[in-house]
Amino acid sequence: MKLGMFNHVSDFSSAYWHNELTPPQSRRVAEHLIGCSRCRAEFESAKLGARFAERLELVSPPDFLWPRIAAGLNVKTAPSRRFQFLKPLAIAATLVLLAGGGLLFFLPRQVDQRSGWQVARLGGTPRIGSEGVSDKSRLGIGQWLETDSSSRAKLEVANIGNVEIDPNTRVRLLQNSDREQRLELARGRLSARISAPPKLFFVNTPSGVAEDLGCAYTLEVDDAGNSLLRVTLGWVALQLRERESVVPAGAACVTRPGIGPGTPYFEDASETFRSSLSQFDFPADQLSQASALEIVTREARPRDAMTLFYLLTRVNRSERALVYDRLATLVAPPDGVTRDGMLNLNPQMMERWQGKLGLTWGRSLDQGAKKTWKKVW
Amino acid sequence: MLVQIVVTQEPPPSNESIDWRIIARCQQGDRDAFRALFEAYKDRVYSIAMYSLGGDEQLASDVTQQVFIKLMTRIGQFRGDSEFATWLYRLVVNTCRDEQRKQRRWVPLADSIFMTATVKQSQTGQYASKELARHVQRALGELKPKLRWPILLRYVEGLSYEEIGKVLDCSKGTVASRLNRGHSALSRKLGHLRDQLGPE
Repeated sequence: MKLGMFNHVSDFSSAYWHNELTPPQSRRVAEHLIGCSRCRAEFESAKLGARFAERLELVSPPDFLWPRIAAGLNVKTAPSRRFQFLKPLAIAATLVLLAGGGLLFFLPRQVDQRSGWQVARLGGTPRIGSEGVSDKSRLGIGQWLETDSSSRAKLEVANIGNVEIDPNTRVRLLQNSDREQRLELARGRLSARISAPPKLFFVNTPSGVAEDLGCAYTLEVDDAGNSLLRVTLGWVALQLRERESVVPAGAACVTRPGIGPGTPYFEDASETFRSSLSQFDFPADQLSQASALEIVTREARPRDAMTLFYLLTRVNRSERALVYDRLATLVAPPDGVTRDGMLNLNPQMMERWQGKLGLTWGRSLDQGAKKTWKKVW
Repeated sequence: MLVQIVVTQEPPPSNESIDWRIIARCQQGDRDAFRALFEAYKDRVYSIAMYSLGGDEQLASDVTQQVFIKLMTRIGQFRGDSEFATWLYRLVVNTCRDEQRKQRRWVPLADSIFMTATVKQSQTGQYASKELARHVQRALGELKPKLRWPILLRYVEGLSYEEIGKVLDCSKGTVASRLNRGHSALSRKLGHLRDQLGPE
């Protein structure tokens, strides 16, 4: 802090009161206050405000808080009802894929729980705690696996799939049981390929939980805890508390700490569409959010109807009219679906239109995913 | 056996108030150590959430929960090159800011929450000092966030100007200036209650 030789010192009143100035600065302020009635009055005012602020008290949280936190660390948060209607469809898609894959998943199986997951070194020197990964290493519950800038590793997820760990990544095994396999991704990137019934494999990130619905995907987390999910096969549900996005193959979704998943989008959408969607999901202010929504609706292609369909439930009623009108232009609503009904989020109409939309979205997907789309939507 | 933690009811000292061994054990996933960390910081985290979110107890509980879950999931990233308290309070401030943004987005009338909470508490009848504290809370809630945060970090968390600057990512001079303006604003809003402060 700089204190001018001949200036008034009122800007330094609080720092002086809190003894945050150097001794020469304090002396200078004290001397000035003696001779300057204006600064003295402002000092008294700041001091009075400081005395009021000292009355702020510590408040104890309710007793139920710790049990809730402990539960939150162990158990996935309750699923959102908002997009529950998508889950059965996604699960159905998974079952179709599994059938096509040789009925492997309908065979009775026991998850291999022998002291954690097997780890293979793919390059460099990945570490479990302070130990380097050897040919027979296993990752136990609670243990961290860390790769540096030149190392990679592969985890065998019991006997249901595998996860490749990219460089500069830190993961921890949280759960290894018949009913749940759960990994935590603190930072970096992983690629998961899971061949298991849905809702068995989870990845916790700082900004949400990725729930496998039978799929292959990559998930990356940056140092701020933001994550990016890119689905290459099947479906993945992203969740944070009541906010949920179910992401199909070919699509991606960003999550932010404290907010959760944004709106899913197809990765071949225009840059303008994607950046505006991000501004809408994680706005700097309400004005920019409204403007971003206008751009998203304007830039949307028929294939982006998925994104617009999600947006219907994430906007207020007046914004919903904008989204609906654009969606209806891109994909004509089926018989029985009315504008008023959709603006009120009528569940039957939502479901009917979703069925109609599925036929349209399937067109430009790759062949494997296309079949899935058609089956599901 | 748990390593002893230094916990104070007074604003914490500027140096580390949590043993580094507790943090190391948290980084290894030790649940008992995390419980100890929670006990050491819960009041301060909850208080700052409540004061910054307009006195809404439910919202403050949710935010406190989020902060500690984030803390547990990210503590592996804490490298010790910044003070733990600074790192934690940065997490608290960011989580509260995110929640404020969400409230603005989804519940435009959230500003009224504090008034409701205040009225409810007033009806129960409290001591004069409690009433004065609530007046201070309300006046604080009316300040711009950039003036409110330094006051919260100074008086609830007991941070120095330098530490506040680290948490808010601004210079010590900026902290001094904002605190000064915040104090003056409180003085203007609460000046009529000066008699209730008692002698200096």
